[in-house]
Amino acid sequence: MHETAIVEGLMRILEAQAARHRVARISSVIVKVGRLRAVEPAQLVACFEMFAEGTVAEGAQLKIEAVSVRARCKACATEFEVPRFRFECPGCGGGDVDVVQGQELYIESFEAAERLPSGGVPK
Amino acid sequence: MCDNCGCNVTDGNRHLVEADHRTIEVLEDLLHENDRQADHNRAHFDAMGLLAINVMSGPGSGKTSLLEATIKALPDRVRLAVIEGDLETENDAERIRRHGVPAVQITTGMACHLDAHMVHDALHELDLAKVDILFIENVGNLVCPASFDIGQHCNVLLLSVTEGDDKPAKYPVMVRAADQMLITKTDLLPYIEEFSVRRARDAVREIRSDLPVTELSAKTGQGMGPWLAWLQAMVAERQAKFRRHAQGYSYAPHR
Repeated sequence: MHETAIVEGLMRILEAQAARHRVARISSVIVKVGRLRAVEPAQLVACFEMFAEGTVAEGAQLKIEAVSVRARCKACATEFEVPRFRFECPGCGGGDVDVVQGQELYIESFEAAERLPSGGVPK
Repeated sequence: MCDNCGCNVTDGNRHLVEADHRTIEVLEDLLHENDRQADHNRAHFDAMGLLAINVMSGPGSGKTSLLEATIKALPDRVRLAVIEGDLETENDAERIRRHGVPAVQITTGMACHLDAHMVHDALHELDLAKVDILFIENVGNLVCPASFDIGQHCNVLLLSVTEGDDKPAKYPVMVRAADQMLITKTDLLPYIEEFSVRRARDAVREIRSDLPVTELSAKTGQGMGPWLAWLQAMVAERQAKFRRHAQGYSYAPHR
């Protein structure tokens, strides 16, 4: 259940960003999750719903965009999508590769639904 | 009518309330705080010239037994310390202390992994100036620990022969994160005909072809040699870096 720790990080960012942009309510959040991060989307959503209660993000929809794994062969420089964690270069059969995509775990953006009245204090 | 549930929004005032519907781009890593703390831990380790190793496996693969055997087998001049991570109990730290090695137990309660903040708190209980290798034994779990940088220099992954030779294929993220893999409890191989070392090695190679795999038994000591040699090579490399760094400082002009 490392999803709880990840959602804690997400909530910290959302609350700080909401305060900075004077946002009173967040309606949706887009998070990019690389397939090499071993994060379970359903658990992430369930945790988020729980943690968001009573915050600016209560009721917001968490959209998780999975990022496929891509690698570049060190021997022949072929870049390829890695199917099912088989890190074998389709060009030369080599297995010594650099992962170029699939480690992502970041918040891309969120939708702000309401702005705080001027002078208002963020929740 | 209230400001909470949206019942104050009518067709007449909707344009005023929702006029500011906008997308705010963030692009911030969700584990940013952990990663920052991990970098801070690593800076501590580097300043002391010590090697920090994150030891990971499923529960019961023999992490603590391996550390005990390693403590006994390494020459005394290599100074060790251990941080133990478990949900509950002080048992593992006590096992390590019986060998005269300082050990700090982290009990995570419900957390299934160590994070950089927990490790940082534990560091305050150790005299890092007197340590060459700091082993950080993570919570037994083949999923979560791989996601959290704790400031280590390298990851060692254990797979015991009682777990099945397809474990690497089942937990590929962990295999990708490893710098050294140990197939442990090989003294039991004669009794477990289902486990094929060759199949386990093949499964590892598909995921990470350059990962060194060593077979050993902490109980009999068989195969410990290559593991100890790898450890000592890693320590030597770290200390060489440390000396170069220290020299760089001493040559800097003083003001």
